[in-house]
Amino acid sequence: MATVGWKRFKQQWPGWVLLAVVAGLLLAVGITHDSGPRTPEERVEEISKRLACPICDGESVFESRNNASASIRTEIKAQVAAGERSNDDIIAFIEQRYGAQVLLVPRASGLDALVWALPAAVFVCAAAGLAVAFRRWRRAADTVPTDADRALVDAALQIDSRGADSHEADSRGAEDRP
Amino acid sequence: MSIPLRVPVSDRRRRIAPFIVLGVAIVIAVLFVILAQSDTSRNDSVSSFLIGKPAPAATGTTLEGEPFDLSRRKGSWVVLNFFDPSCRPCVHEHPELVTFHGEQQALADGAELYTVINRGSDADVRTFFDTNGGGWPVVTDPTGAISVDFGVAQVPETWIIDPNGIVRQRIAGEITAPFLSSYLQQLREQGL
Repeated sequence: MATVGWKRFKQQWPGWVLLAVVAGLLLAVGITHDSGPRTPEERVEEISKRLACPICDGESVFESRNNASASIRTEIKAQVAAGERSNDDIIAFIEQRYGAQVLLVPRASGLDALVWALPAAVFVCAAAGLAVAFRRWRRAADTVPTDADRALVDAALQIDSRGADSHEADSRGAEDRP
Repeated sequence: MSIPLRVPVSDRRRRIAPFIVLGVAIVIAVLFVILAQSDTSRNDSVSSFLIGKPAPAATGTTLEGEPFDLSRRKGSWVVLNFFDPSCRPCVHEHPELVTFHGEQQALADGAELYTVINRGSDADVRTFFDTNGGGWPVVTDPTGAISVDFGVAQVPETWIIDPNGIVRQRIAGEITAPFLSSYLQQLREQGL
């Protein structure tokens, strides 16, 4: 059994290695990708899209037209124009005043990190479970019946056919009886 | 003669199952404990990181064109009321503020009351005050900078700042004159 698996692995490993290299490259590009210097307007838009309107549900500060969101947008513009704070610092400033409920994108630290960690953990567990299940199914499919298995099945079939014959005879006898 | 045709259940699965159930139960229990102990006070509208801290710099201009600087009000108790003439609770609350202002003016060390507005035209606000009374200064906040510095999302909101410039209380929603007066008195008695 293990030999079959090993043979398969030997045939397929270049494909797996290529897949791993491509995935690693894409991840590296994604992590280090920088769109370069951005305009103040783009920064204001990015920050206001990461903040929730403090008095309405499901709307970002960027979309919301109410007074509180307008004031927050003005504050963001002023802080971006001052150029003293990073995007994260400006978001932290607003969060400190309005509470964590204004964060549309949860933080990756503390209890909020569960929002990110749990789906990833579930994904890893599910993938591992599927891998185990597939392996088991493949093993079951690869099973070749031994001579003993065949003898067992033949014996069972014989008993089954004998039982069926006697049952048939019994039924006939019952029909013949007056 | 009978041949056992029953498919044997894997003993390994039987052994693992309780551990899986236990693991899931532990995860659910841990999540339950975390949620039960989580801090829900941050959703409380009267909490603020500013309580007990120096009030933010708040500057502006009054409707009369006078400059306003909160930091220059040190030495007096200051009550800031965030207001919008188009907000019904604000309009409903207004007579209580008129009463409160009258009571404080009668005291030797009465609190200074200021209204902060960042909505509605100056003319509308002036008309509202002329019609409904209220002889205290109205500070205009056209950019909403004061509101953001205090984290005010919904009006009316009332803030109490002590003579040292420290934020002592945030009251979200409508207030009444007796409540505000007695609250202020309690703070005075607690000392600075």
